[in-house]
Amino acid sequence: MRQYVRYFRWIFIVTGILAVVYAGLHLLHSLRTFPERTNEECLTRQRVFDYGDILSEAEEEKLADLIAKRERQTGCDIVLVTLNESLKEYARKKEPYVPYEEFVRVYAEDFYDSNAFGYDRPIGDGVLLVDNWYREEDGRVYTWLSTVGRAEEKYTAAHIDHLLDNVYRYVERDPYRAYKTYINDFYHDMAGGGTFTFYLPYWLPLAVAALSMLIFVVIHWSYKKGSKTVVPTAYVDGSPQMYKREDVFINKIVTKRHIQRSSGGSGGSGGGGGSHGGHHGGGGHSR
Amino acid sequence: MLFRCKNCGGNTVYSPEKGKMYCPHCDGIDSGEIEGAGIRAECVNCGAPLEIKEYNSTCKCEYCGSYIILDERVEGEYRPRMVLPFQIGMKRAVELLKEEFKSRVFTPGTFLAESTLEEMKGMYVPFWLYDYKADINYIGKGTKVRVWTGGDTEYTETSYYRVARNMGIDFRKVPVDASIAMPDDVMDLMEPFDYNASKEFQAEYMSGFYGEIYNEGADSLEERAKRKAENDADVLLKDTLGGYTSLIPERKDICLSRKEANYALLPVWRYIYKYQEKDYPFYVNGQTGKIIGSTPVSRKKVLAYGGTVFAAVWMALSFLIGIMEIL
Repeated sequence: MRQYVRYFRWIFIVTGILAVVYAGLHLLHSLRTFPERTNEECLTRQRVFDYGDILSEAEEEKLADLIAKRERQTGCDIVLVTLNESLKEYARKKEPYVPYEEFVRVYAEDFYDSNAFGYDRPIGDGVLLVDNWYREEDGRVYTWLSTVGRAEEKYTAAHIDHLLDNVYRYVERDPYRAYKTYINDFYHDMAGGGTFTFYLPYWLPLAVAALSMLIFVVIHWSYKKGSKTVVPTAYVDGSPQMYKREDVFINKIVTKRHIQRSSGGSGGSGGGGGSHGGHHGGGGHSR
Repeated sequence: MLFRCKNCGGNTVYSPEKGKMYCPHCDGIDSGEIEGAGIRAECVNCGAPLEIKEYNSTCKCEYCGSYIILDERVEGEYRPRMVLPFQIGMKRAVELLKEEFKSRVFTPGTFLAESTLEEMKGMYVPFWLYDYKADINYIGKGTKVRVWTGGDTEYTETSYYRVARNMGIDFRKVPVDASIAMPDDVMDLMEPFDYNASKEFQAEYMSGFYGEIYNEGADSLEERAKRKAENDADVLLKDTLGGYTSLIPERKDICLSRKEANYALLPVWRYIYKYQEKDYPFYVNGQTGKIIGSTPVSRKKVLAYGGTVFAAVWMALSFLIGIMEIL
């Protein structure tokens, strides 16, 4: 046992330090709360609108409790709407030429604005997920994440894709888990920087650990007889004699390449004006 | 011949610890006297028949334990030009082996306790030591690449050079073992030996140890020596070719001319441990203590430690990513 501990002492120490730092930061972070909500004009205290009847009563309550906690930690309203109806008529009435994939956007923005959600003010900081389980005429089921205020500033198209990917990972077999992921991911995205880690796949630590284990086992599977310890000068008498050393410049060639500069723009999710004048960001997925 | 103690008549042997002849029977120092035997196959001490193998230059009498040096195999063409006397004795070699076994984490814990020592021999291994004059000629084309940007344009400047080197290297005493019984790879790994401690050959250094005459001549073993010298010359040449982004050799010649080859005896301890019906030979450089040999591996232990590596790396990375996410 002593040999085991001695062998791994450095890796244990490093892991321990990382664990302590992580736990400390996590604790500090979870203790951080925003000032009281200042939006007095919001029409409802409800945050979970299960119109599609996807969740059980108990699940709705648990999600509502989680949202209440995360709202204080993020300073944003967090709203969840499930539907199971065609939004074609509704959306086309508002925006006659809106494509199928944006029916949910029209609904989401309108829903957010008409209820005057927003943590700091009406149509202020917040996020709303609309998951419509109805299969529209094009055969797709659409989901939209609408962001406003600080959430809009924080969320790039890539962030929205990432969050919706995580939701879609579970939504068909466990909708409760999917919506819980939405709330928690939103909290983590708003709370943390995540700039360095955003593009890291979630399985990366597992893959690196598995590879490390494989390399370790292969290296130690059998002992080598020994290692070579002879240096190249071991049998050299004196030092090598250099009789001729030439480094003669012949010619040089210069080539040029035009650098393509990025023209900017995040693409993907679209912003849009709300029906009551609030500005929304957001993006959608379909399944 | 046999070295006999003039005090007690016992067989005196060379003591690596003392660096002198020593009588293990009466503790006499430098008390040995040569007792010649001529060409015979009987023990000088007790007259028992000796089992002399084809290349043996010394052997041990199975009956009285005396070390007999075969006169005709240490004289004339078989007289070594030099000998590197043992500096590490049997006890020290065993200590070094035990330390080595303990340091090998994946050697089964029962290896030391359950293994039996089948053989324990101090041997003077015959080596040929080659001296070479190396003449190295290199011609090639080198490129140096510099990249910089100006505005929206990236510039790449490639400069071409003619590179030439002519070097001379004197190699001295490149060793190649001349014993068929000794595995070549093990003997190569035994290196280096410190030739500064070498002595002019005297038969007394062999008393108490096994020894062999060279099994093969210098010419037939030369290829191995040449390969070693060429590899070293190549590395030393490369050391002079730094600073280029790429090098395309047009000509590279390493010519070795042999100046001489000398016959020498170098000290090696050989221990054979038997563990679970399998032999594990270990070789200890009798001068430097360097150990060559494989111990068995506890696969269960490797897998268990591998599991720890997996868990620790997974946790460490997860914590690290978690910290970066928060920051």
